[in-house]
Amino acid sequence: MTWAMVKRYGIELKRYAFNTLSMLVSFYLIFLILFLGIRSFAGDSPQFGEALPGMVIGFTVFYLVVYAYAELSWVLIAEAQQGTLEQLSMSPLGFGRVIVARIFAALAFRIVVMFALLVIMMATTSRWLHVDLLTIVPVLILTVASVQGVGFVMGGLALVFKQIQAALGILQFVFVALLAIPLEQFGFAKYLPLTWGTHLIGRAMVDGERLWQMPPRDLGALGVVGIGYFLVGFACFKGLERVARSRGLLGHY
Amino acid sequence: MSAPVVRVDNLTKVYRSRRESVVAVDHVSFRVEPGEIVGLLGPNGAGKTTTIKCLCTLVRPTSGTVALGQVDVVAHPARALENVTAVLEGNRNIYWRLSPRENLEFFSGLQGISTRSVRPYINELIDRFALGDKRDVAARKLSRGMQQKLAVACALVKRTEVLLLDEPTLGLDVETSHELRSALVALARDDGRTIVLSSHDMNVVQDICERVIIIHEGRVVTDDRVANLLQVFRARAYRIRLEGAISDAQARALHERFDIVHTRAEDGGTDIEVELFARDQMYDLMDVLRAGGSVIESIDREEPNLEEVFLSIVRKRA
Repeated sequence: MTWAMVKRYGIELKRYAFNTLSMLVSFYLIFLILFLGIRSFAGDSPQFGEALPGMVIGFTVFYLVVYAYAELSWVLIAEAQQGTLEQLSMSPLGFGRVIVARIFAALAFRIVVMFALLVIMMATTSRWLHVDLLTIVPVLILTVASVQGVGFVMGGLALVFKQIQAALGILQFVFVALLAIPLEQFGFAKYLPLTWGTHLIGRAMVDGERLWQMPPRDLGALGVVGIGYFLVGFACFKGLERVARSRGLLGHY
Repeated sequence: MSAPVVRVDNLTKVYRSRRESVVAVDHVSFRVEPGEIVGLLGPNGAGKTTTIKCLCTLVRPTSGTVALGQVDVVAHPARALENVTAVLEGNRNIYWRLSPRENLEFFSGLQGISTRSVRPYINELIDRFALGDKRDVAARKLSRGMQQKLAVACALVKRTEVLLLDEPTLGLDVETSHELRSALVALARDDGRTIVLSSHDMNVVQDICERVIIIHEGRVVTDDRVANLLQVFRARAYRIRLEGAISDAQARALHERFDIVHTRAEDGGTDIEVELFARDQMYDLMDVLRAGGSVIESIDREEPNLEEVFLSIVRKRA
């Protein structure tokens, strides 16, 4: 079933090639405007040089985050609109599994695109960071898992309430804040989605710290936060799916 | 007799909101035997679609039992879904950007069936539904009829024993509707599939269903074989042709003494359409006509169609 989902996702990306490409280009253009804008003010000051890696990393992670929390809702709304949501929810393998497979397909694609975007951004800024895939990919997946937990809640709400685009828009700003939150000052933020993972990715890409060099406590916190939010979010999704089935809302738009 | 493949007992669904509670399905019970084609009929809002959605787990019943074979749909939805599939929104149940072949491959995968093992069956379905020329054309470029046939094929590719269809011929032209009907009959006859369908099109139901369940205001009001229903109505519906007009007193007497009666003056005579629910009523009718001095030209049994039967039952209920 996962393969069927990956294959369909791939076919649709190809058929919507213009849309896929334009999303990527617009993301890069926003980065470029941001980068050139800040550089025109800051010049080649050392502070700008120090902030640059954080900006590249933040932007890279943000690309994944935007899709991680909102894509499930977009997908569910789109499937409901085109009339296929009921078919997905009639899979004997379980609606939850179908949705997780869909997210997996999207995440695999987004990670590949994210690395391409990262290379382009590093080339643009002429600041080359450490890109150790063995370190970055697992940390990234656990980081995104926590955001995905929020995505599940939003997806569940989309099943019941349908129109949640405004809430998704607001959430985007919350995630920007979580990306930028200084952990030295707000230690508790480590247990919020995204924050700790982004911090570890920064350590890996700027300082060149490898996965096996990271203290187990740090990785443990990442795992607990990532898996914890994911599971709690998934449980909420299942609960909201039950509400939708009870109210006869699956498939309605 | 074999065990029923669909068993619905006292199914009730109440949609509750803060303002009101709506009883969509009210203690509905019926059985469907393997290989049967059963039609669910009813006016808009009667509860047909909710019943179908309860059967395929899309709506959770408020109370009652729904079982497919031995599997309780509410307690074991995943196991139940191995045995049932549904086409609920006709041509909207497919991916328009994918071709028929890609759609069929995707839906078999969704059922946990590997593409390789199902490929011969996919080819068979493409041929059966005459989609061969369009197998690699995006579904959005197909005609509505073809899209609808593809939606049914996508449901069949899951190889479930029970197929639920909500308005399968809605919006189709006459030719495609006939084509789809033939395919459905062949499915039950040749593949032994069990089909439950809801439709507003009485011709479709009369044409392909062996049995019909009429639902009105959430309750089953009739559950019988189509042939039996037509026979019953044929037996009690008469058309009587009289010479000349009938008097006002006669017309009044007819309306007072018989439940359903239509009188129409035509070509210098009068046609009376009447339903007689008891044998004695024929003698009563003759008495009324004789009392007014009417001359009977002919008495014929009416040949009812399912639409008339349906309207008669529903109006009587109302």
